[in-house]
Order: sequence, then C-alpha cells, then structure tokens
Amino acid sequence: MRQNESETQVAVRVAGLSKAYGDLRALDGVSFEVPMRRVFAYLGPNGAGKTTTINILCGLLERDGGEVSILGRDVAADPVLVKSRIGVVTENSNLYPELHCRRNLEYTGELYGLSADRRRSRAESLLNDFGLMDKAGAPFGTLSRGMKRRLTIAAALMHEPEILFLDEPTTGLDVPSARSLRDLIRRIVGGGATVFLTTHNLFEAEELADEIVVLIGGRIVERGKVSDIKRRIGGARCLTVSFSQSVSGGDVLGVCPAIRNAELQDGALKFEASDLHDAIAQLVAFCNKENIRMNDIGIREPSLEDAFVSLLAGAGKSDGKDRP
Amino acid sequence: MIQLARALAISRKDVESYYGKPPLVTWGLLFPAVLILAVYIKDRAGYLDVAPGIIAMTLLFGNTSMAAIVITFEKRSGTFERLLLSPLGMGTIILGKALSAAAYGIATSIVLAVGLKACMGLPMARPDVFIAGLLIGSCVFSLLGLIASVMVKEVFEAMTLMNFFRFPLLFLSGVFVPFAQMPGWLKPVAWLSPLTHAGEMIRFGIFGETAFASPWVPVAASLIMFAAVCVLSGLSFQRYARR
Ligand SMILES: Nc1ncnc2c1ncn2[C@@H]1O[C@H](COP(=O)(O)OP(=O)(O)O)[C@@H](O)[C@H]1O
Ligand SMILES: [Mg+2]
Repeated sequence: MRQNESETQVAVRVAGLSKAYGDLRALDGVSFEVPMRRVFAYLGPNGAGKTTTINILCGLLERDGGEVSILGRDVAADPVLVKSRIGVVTENSNLYPELHCRRNLEYTGELYGLSADRRRSRAESLLNDFGLMDKAGAPFGTLSRGMKRRLTIAAALMHEPEILFLDEPTTGLDVPSARSLRDLIRRIVGGGATVFLTTHNLFEAEELADEIVVLIGGRIVERGKVSDIKRRIGGARCLTVSFSQSVSGGDVLGVCPAIRNAELQDGALKFEASDLHDAIAQLVAFCNKENIRMNDIGIREPSLEDAFVSLLAGAGKSDGKDRP
Repeated sequence: MIQLARALAISRKDVESYYGKPPLVTWGLLFPAVLILAVYIKDRAGYLDVAPGIIAMTLLFGNTSMAAIVITFEKRSGTFERLLLSPLGMGTIILGKALSAAAYGIATSIVLAVGLKACMGLPMARPDVFIAGLLIGSCVFSLLGLIASVMVKEVFEAMTLMNFFRFPLLFLSGVFVPFAQMPGWLKPVAWLSPLTHAGEMIRFGIFGETAFASPWVPVAASLIMFAAVCVLSGLSFQRYARR
C-alpha cells in the first residue's frame, strides 16, 4: 500500500535509461523522476536525446537498458494500458490534413475508445478552450502553424490523459503564438495533468517549469528547481554601472578584487560580482578615490541562459557524471 | 471487442480520406472495365476467358497498391505515428488498415461484376464463391501491401518491391495463361501464388467449374495463405514499431 501511495506522487520514473543508434550513444544512464501535477522541463540543445527519451517513454522506441515506469507501469510490458493514460504531442503537428478540425478530434477520441457523446462534447469544449471554434469545419491542412499546434495538443487531450508529453511545443512558432501556447500549458496543468515538456528554449523552461532536468549529449548534467540551478551554476550576479567619466575595465579590476570579467559595453562597465556587498564597497571606494560619480547601477539575476551556457561549456570537460 | 471498434474506426476514416474519393473509385472500376471491353470488342465470346483473371488481377494490383500507398503516405506525413501512440494493439492497426483496403477491392469488383452481367451477360453460377474469392483475395493482397509498406520509406520503393512479384504472378497465376494449359514445371510455382487461388475461386463463381480437383482446393490454399500473411504482417509491423 505504501508503495502505491508513493507511486501516485510520481508520474514518470526513469532509472539508468540508455539507448544507442549504432555507435552513437543517444542516451547514457539517464535517471529522473517527474512529480505529479507539475510541469517538468526536459531541457537540452538539439541532438541531446530529448525526442529519443520521449519516444521510449511513449512506447515508440525500444530502450537498450534501464527502467521506465509511467504511472507505475512499464510501457514495454503494458503498452495499451499506458498509452490510454498518456497524451503525446510529437515534434511535428501530425493530424490528418484532409480531415477538418472537429473530425480530427473526434477520430482521435474513437481511437481512445470514447463514446460518441463524449467525443462530441470533448471536441466541442476543446475547440472552445483552444480558440479554434471558428475553424471547426476547416481542414487541418489549411490552418496556420500555431493553430495546427494548438489543435494537435487539443487532440492529445481528448481522452483527458494524466500525463501530457509535449516535444518542443513552441519551436517554429511566432512570438504571440508561442506565448498563447504557454498560457495554454499553464491551464492544462491547472486542470490537474502532469506535463512533460522538452525544449531547447531556456526562457520557456524558466517560465513554465517547476522542475528542470538538463540533458546534454545523452547525459543529465543538472537538475532541480529553476532557482536552485541558477544559484548553483550562475552563482555570480551581473552588474552594469555607468560612470560620470570613462573608466577602463583594467583600472577597476586592479583595485576591486570582488569584480570579475569586466567589459565595456555601450559606455557602461559590465562585470560579474562574486560577492555583491564587497563589490559595491570596493567600487564606491574606487570612485571616491578617483573622484568619479556613478550615474546608474543595474543588477541582473543570473538567467537560466547563463547557467545553461556555463553547463554547455563544462559538458565538454566534465565526465558528465550524474549529479544527484 | 473494444479493439475491434477501434479497428473499424480506422477503416471508416481511411474510406473517408482515401478509398471513398472519386478518383480511386473510378480507377478501380475503369481499369478492369476498359481491359475487358477491349477484349470484348475483338471477340464477343472470348472475353469470358479473361474476365475472371482481369478481375483477380485488378484486385491484386488495386489492393496491394492502395494499402501500401496509404501506409507509406501516412508514415511520411507523420500521421501513422498517431496510431502507434494510441492505445491500439498491433493487430488492431493491421486489421483497420487491411479492412478498408479490402472493402475497396471487394466493392469495386462487385460493382464491376454487376455491370458486366447487365451489359455483357457475364454468367454468375455461384455468387457465394465469387464473393468468397473476392473477400479472401482482397484480404491477402491488402496484407501483402501492408507488409511492403513497412519495409520501405517511399511510395515508389513499395511499388518497385511489389512489382518484382506482381508482374511475374500475372503469367504464373492463370490470368492470361489458363492453369490447365501451363507447362508442367510451372504448375508448382503457380500453386504458391495467391493470385492463382483467388482467381480460381472467382472463375468458379462465374462458371461453376474449376481446373482443380475440387473447388475446395483453392479455398483451402487461400485460407492457408491468408493465415501466413496474417502472421507475416504481424511480425513486420511489430518490427517496424520497435525500430
Ligand atoms: N533514428 C535514428 N537513427 C540514428 N540516429 C538517431 C536517430 N534518431 C536520433 N538520432 C541521433 O540521436 C541523437 C539524439 O537525437 P534526439 O533524441 O532526436 O535529440 P533531440 O530531440 O534532443 O534534439 C542525435 O545525435 C540524433 O542525430
Ligand atoms: Mg527532438
């Protein structure tokens, strides 16, 4: 019983997952857990192994090794049952171009065994929720890219899956479409589903995800909450200071040991502070001594992008060992 | 039962998307009708010799091609993946895809036979055997098309692969050369051809006589081949899905 209780808190559990395409090790000992009713972002550059992972989790691809449990079941052992409880949106919007939108949704409902009444009402409410009601009778092939994406996600929600897998949902969309899609994803999670999202877009992961796993070259190099990852990796804060007269980065660096990586940008000095208090104290001392005034000062939190860039730079050197 | 309903949903959608479209319907009817008409114009009675063979041949080419085109097309557009991601057994997907292709072949052949009967007085001694021949032939041919489609990437590759077998079959299966007139060394090869047996059932349905010892011979042979292609298609789809 206790086992079952803990299972209900974990949507996906992956341990030591590996997959090779010939000589290429696409996944190499990947382990993670996805908590229920959260957005989980699987973040990585192109070719990291994100789609490979999703394909294995959804039963499209056989794994070479490792354990996979979706809602407490192995998709390789129980494919039909697991598939009936998950929804998958692949990288391409792949509904039937010749069928109109409502028929696409209803047909998907048929494949998942929904009754005729249920199909009709689900299609109706999803078309409504996704702002596609006026396109209900239009062939899927005639929709814009953003609308196609929305309808493909709607189709994956027809049977009210407990977990929704989204493979790079906003890739290739323009800014407003991507934004409205992110709002939609928030609403889906608000409705009680778990969302497993792959993305190479840091902003998106930062915006949406509760938990992030960073995958590079088939190995997990970082994991945790967004704020934790930023603190751990991009520890230094970034400051921008503009002075009343020009200074050179070299001058400042010489007398302010708490300041690193100074560079001049648009007349302002940009640098990283390993310790905010010390850096500012040293900077004020420098200004007083040189009789310079600070006109403006800006402090920027490290972004996930900073963290990501430093991870990517490190991935080449490190042994890629999984950090718990 | 649940899976059967889902297979029927797949078939219905395919009829809607492909098989019910006017160009396919007219192709399935016009092609054999024109061939038979061409022979009929030359020789009013002689067309009867080739009519069963042409019906069987149309079934072979129509069903293998359509089944293969539909799957190859859906694999390319990514829609086939939707079926693999849905809660469907592999048998359900195969059944759904084969049923729609088979229904297309059977429906066009029946319309053709009715037309030939009305216009040229085609006899129909045993309509039950005729329809049984269409049924089992189109199922076997559709499954063969499905098998070819998961072995290749492009439509033309599927066609090339199948033509490698289909064209020789035309000469080996009693379509143009009646089984009885075949040289003895060719007969064993003809025996292994599904086209021979489907064609023979259609011929028996039309004339009420067969070149075999009994009309049950082609029925039994067809059923054995049907079982074989069922197993083969299951294996090839299983392999494709786990690529
Ligand atoms: N079917 C395949 N055959 C061979 N190599 C593949 C195949 N699919 C993916 N790969 C390779 O595996 C690696 C991971 O791919 P993928 O999972 O698609 O990455 P991502 O989705 O993170 O961009 C890439 O190097 C890719 O080229
Ligand atoms: Mg990918």
